[in-house]
Amino acid sequence: MHWFYLAVAVVFEITVAVAAGKAAGFTDRRWTAVTLLSGAVATVFLSRALLTFDVGVGYALWTSIAGVGITAMGVLVFGQRLGWSKAFGIAVVVAGVVGLQLSGAA
Amino acid sequence: MSDIAPAPTRTPVRHARTRAWLVLLLAGCFEIGYALSVGGSDGFTRPSWSVVAVVFFLLTLYALSVALRTIDLGIGYAVWAGIGAVGAALLGPVLLDDTLTPARAGWLAVIVAGVVWLKLADRPPADGTVVGGSP
Repeated sequence: MHWFYLAVAVVFEITVAVAAGKAAGFTDRRWTAVTLLSGAVATVFLSRALLTFDVGVGYALWTSIAGVGITAMGVLVFGQRLGWSKAFGIAVVVAGVVGLQLSGAA
Repeated sequence: MSDIAPAPTRTPVRHARTRAWLVLLLAGCFEIGYALSVGGSDGFTRPSWSVVAVVFFLLTLYALSVALRTIDLGIGYAVWAGIGAVGAALLGPVLLDDTLTPARAGWLAVIVAGVVWLKLADRPPADGTVVGGSP
C-alpha cells in the first residue's frame, strides 16, 4: 500500500508544478485552486507513504521521480525546449537531493 | 485578478529573468520554512507550528507560480526543491535534532553547484549571435 501512496504523492507533486505554471502567479483562479489542492493532497499522501518507507528513501524517490516527470511535462505541455545543458543541471540538482536524503537515512 | 498587460517586448527579457530568479530563490526560502515548520508540527498535532506551516505552504507555492511565468518548469522545480533541501539540511541541526555529516555537506555542495549551473544555463535565447554557446 505504501507504494500506492507514494505513486499518488508523485502524481500530485507533478500536478502542483504544472498547475503552478498555469496559475501564472496566482492570477488564474482555477489553476491556483488546483495548485493548492494538489499540494495538500501530495503532502498528505507523502506523509502516509513515509509512515512505512524510510523517510530518506521515500523522500528521495518522491523528488527524483517528480523532478523527471515535471521536466517531461515542461517539454510536453509547455513546449519548453530542453538542451543538454539544462537537462544536465536538473540531473545534478536531483542527484544532490537524492544523495542528501539517502545519506541522512544512514 | 485582471492581468491583461500587453506582452512585454523583447528588450526587458533580461530584467524579467533576473527578477524571476530572485523570486524563485525566495520561493526556495519559503519552502525551507515549510519543511521546517511541518517537521516542528509533529504531524500537524501542534497548532502553532501547523499554522506557520500553512502560511509557508501558501507563500512557497505563490512565489513558485510567479517564478514559473518566466523560468522553465523543470529548472524551476529542481531549484525550488534543491534550495528547500539545502536549507532544511543546514537549519535542521540548528532548530531540530538533526545532524550535518560530512557526506550530507558534500551532497549540499552538489545541489548548490547544480543550481548555479542552471542559473548560468538559463539564458534567454541568444540575441541573434551565438546559439550553441556553452554556459
